Amino acid sequence: MADQYISMDTLRYLLYQVHGLEQLLEKPRFQDFDKEAIDIYLNSVKSFSDEELFPYFREMDEKPVVYEDGKVIVHPQIQKIMQQSSEMGLIGGTFDYEQGGMQMPYTVLTAAYFIMDAANNHVPGYPGLTDGAAHLIVSFGEQELQEMFVPKMISGDWGGTMCLTEPQAGSSLSDISTTAYPQPDGRYKIKGQKIFISGGDTQFSENIVHLLLARVEGAPPGTKGVSLFVVPKNRPVPGGGLEPNDVTSVADFPKMGQRGYATVHLAFGDQDDCYGWLVGEENKGLGYMFQMMNGARIAVGRAGAAVATAAYYASLQYANERPQGRKLRSDGKKDPSEGQTLIINHPDVRRMLLLQKAIWEGSLSLVLQSAVLYDWETVSEGEEREQHRLLLELLTPVTKTYPSEMGRESVSNGLQVLGGYGFCSEFVLQQYYRDVRIMAIYEGTTGIQSLDLLGRKIPMKQGQALKLLAADMQATIKEAMAYDELKPYAQVLGEKMQLNQKVLEFLMPFAMKGDYERFLSDATVFMEFFGTILIAWQWLKMALKAKQGLLTGDKTYTPEFYESKIHTMKFYFKYEMPKTNALAQTLMDEEVLTIAREKELIG
Amino acid sequence: MKILVCVSHVPDTTTKIQFESDGSALNKTGVTFVINPYDEFGLSRAIGFKEEGKSVNITVLCVGGPEVEPTLRKALAIGADDAVRINTQANDPAYVAAQIASYAEGKEFDLIFTGKESIDYNGSTVPGMLAEHLLWPFVSFATKMDLQDEERAVLHREVDGGEEVVETSLPVVVSCQKGIAEWRIPNMRGIMAARKKPLAVVSPAEITPYFQTVRYNYPPPKGECVYFEPDQAGKLIETLAQKGLI
Repeated sequence: MADQYISMDTLRYLLYQVHGLEQLLEKPRFQDFDKEAIDIYLNSVKSFSDEELFPYFREMDEKPVVYEDGKVIVHPQIQKIMQQSSEMGLIGGTFDYEQGGMQMPYTVLTAAYFIMDAANNHVPGYPGLTDGAAHLIVSFGEQELQEMFVPKMISGDWGGTMCLTEPQAGSSLSDISTTAYPQPDGRYKIKGQKIFISGGDTQFSENIVHLLLARVEGAPPGTKGVSLFVVPKNRPVPGGGLEPNDVTSVADFPKMGQRGYATVHLAFGDQDDCYGWLVGEENKGLGYMFQMMNGARIAVGRAGAAVATAAYYASLQYANERPQGRKLRSDGKKDPSEGQTLIINHPDVRRMLLLQKAIWEGSLSLVLQSAVLYDWETVSEGEEREQHRLLLELLTPVTKTYPSEMGRESVSNGLQVLGGYGFCSEFVLQQYYRDVRIMAIYEGTTGIQSLDLLGRKIPMKQGQALKLLAADMQATIKEAMAYDELKPYAQVLGEKMQLNQKVLEFLMPFAMKGDYERFLSDATVFMEFFGTILIAWQWLKMALKAKQGLLTGDKTYTPEFYESKIHTMKFYFKYEMPKTNALAQTLMDEEVLTIAREKELIG
Repeated sequence: MKILVCVSHVPDTTTKIQFESDGSALNKTGVTFVINPYDEFGLSRAIGFKEEGKSVNITVLCVGGPEVEPTLRKALAIGADDAVRINTQANDPAYVAAQIASYAEGKEFDLIFTGKESIDYNGSTVPGMLAEHLLWPFVSFATKMDLQDEERAVLHREVDGGEEVVETSLPVVVSCQKGIAEWRIPNMRGIMAARKKPLAVVSPAEITPYFQTVRYNYPPPKGECVYFEPDQAGKLIETLAQKGLI
């Protein structure tokens, strides 16, 4: 097991120097926070993760969640973590004071969860989904509903989940069939099944509050007939106490990774005795649920970045300890009598380590960029608020996807650094590799996110979000152009923005003439293309602040720290950015090979 | 009951220590500072007395410039009631002990906690000198402490090969070792409450520092690691012999 799983320095650098968290703290909503308090808080989360999460990371994989006698049995440490998560403000910390929260910036909560994800990615989903579910109730639920469920969720006594997927309805939510039958007392009887419910049950929870999508009997077909319900495992009874609510855990899905995180198959109303409470209005459930889904998408990106971070430090430690081979002499030969060199001295190992570093730091920067936008949207009004909202909408699918897809690539390179040992259970890299694989599937697969990006977010409001993004990127380019060392990279980013424009000019006419299948057939390729450019923007921002730190003699970090940021930016531009040319070529190729034709050619 | 907990502002143990190029001082660039972990044991034990139902006021004290205030804030977030910063640089242990004693004199503290040592200079001398200034009893390396009543305490302390149990009158100076309490992680509400707790800055007493650090030196570099293949036993023996190790 590696000694280090995160760099707190880089996390702080991104929060304060790159993404300007302190400017956000000047807003009245966050007046009770300052940098000192946030530093203490993040250090506390790190200590909590060091003591309660990281030591159990391997054990949760080796002793996974099991389903026995109708019960979902998780690692005993989960109970302690849920209780402490509440004390740490990890559940409800961002809520308004009057909702029982502390008005903590979402960016700070994101940083806190990132630390926990890196320490042990099997765990943060338990408090994280409870937080998201409680937030849905306080955002859209009646006061009575809030009083009935939220305090116990914030205290960590009750868990929370989101129940969307059904055996016949995965990515296609319009096909869900769980049904809600109105009752005279205002409640609804619920009947149906939900699968892949993360944190869906544990032996410890006094109660689990499921935020569930269902159709009210007779509702219109498709997504316009979907409503949102609170369906607890145990329902509160008048006068206090709980009684079973006919929610049954049918199974826990054994998985290749994240084996300490329960993934449950739930049955609702098998005995016709399951009751739910409507959240908001009938048939508007999917809209409400998108609040939680968007948060969950950023959370998945965050987790992908975090696993890649932990894997990077594990492989870096190995590379600094493992002697193997000898350096080449000037005649191209090796001296066998010379002692072996550490593998970190081999250029190809250094390339793999730099690639990992470029991916996880770039990913984390994008995640925090989105989190900061969320906070700015919360504290601003009018046109400014709308601009932040649009930009966040555009970035969300990329924030979910780039860290998930490239995080896997990063971990794979980390595993490769260990050679044969990387494939062995004795070393932790194989576990990170198995764990990170789910990120491209959770909360809307890469395919779904790509359709969302190209089909909805790019064209929305006549491309308004893309224009806002371009303006932000141009501002970074303009600032970077003032420094000779950064100028060539700023120019490349500008050229890639033009290339993006060219690709869209090629693709958009398909949509305009109604050929949506052609327009979206390579959406995932576009996602990779667009994501690679966005991470280059993040790296230019990081390098810019590093350059300024060096020139002003800012002693918050060492000169080596700043130089490392600039060096990694250069690596990213040299090794990753050329890919965009090939991807653009594919995207603008007239030949269509993936759309199904009458004659089946896959077989 | 009034408890004074003395805390030091020290580099995080994971920090790579570097000195200024002339060796005159620690280079603080990029260094993260924390509460000295042994002092934190004392703070945790003091909070434990509170949780046991005793009426306790906990004051945390640090000798240092404004840069030590985050450490005091963290102590407040963990559960101290108020904080004091003696506004001077902590130049040498005798000076620090004299400053703390000067502050504590006449304020009717019943108990002063320190760590068994600070993890930066590892002097282990401040608490003993502090007790001497105050003419109080001193119990070092305490691993357990219980109050019998408002005037007496029983302490366990680490000694070579075992432990010693001592009984002492109050007031007393106690230097804390691992075991006396568990570290506590401040929670969000504690951190927010800490911003509103009093942090007083007091001027130092007029005491002349006893000594001045001239220079810091790094330890000699470790020798390069040499690897031998399994079939090179002869070469290994030869190398060890050359170095005079066998």
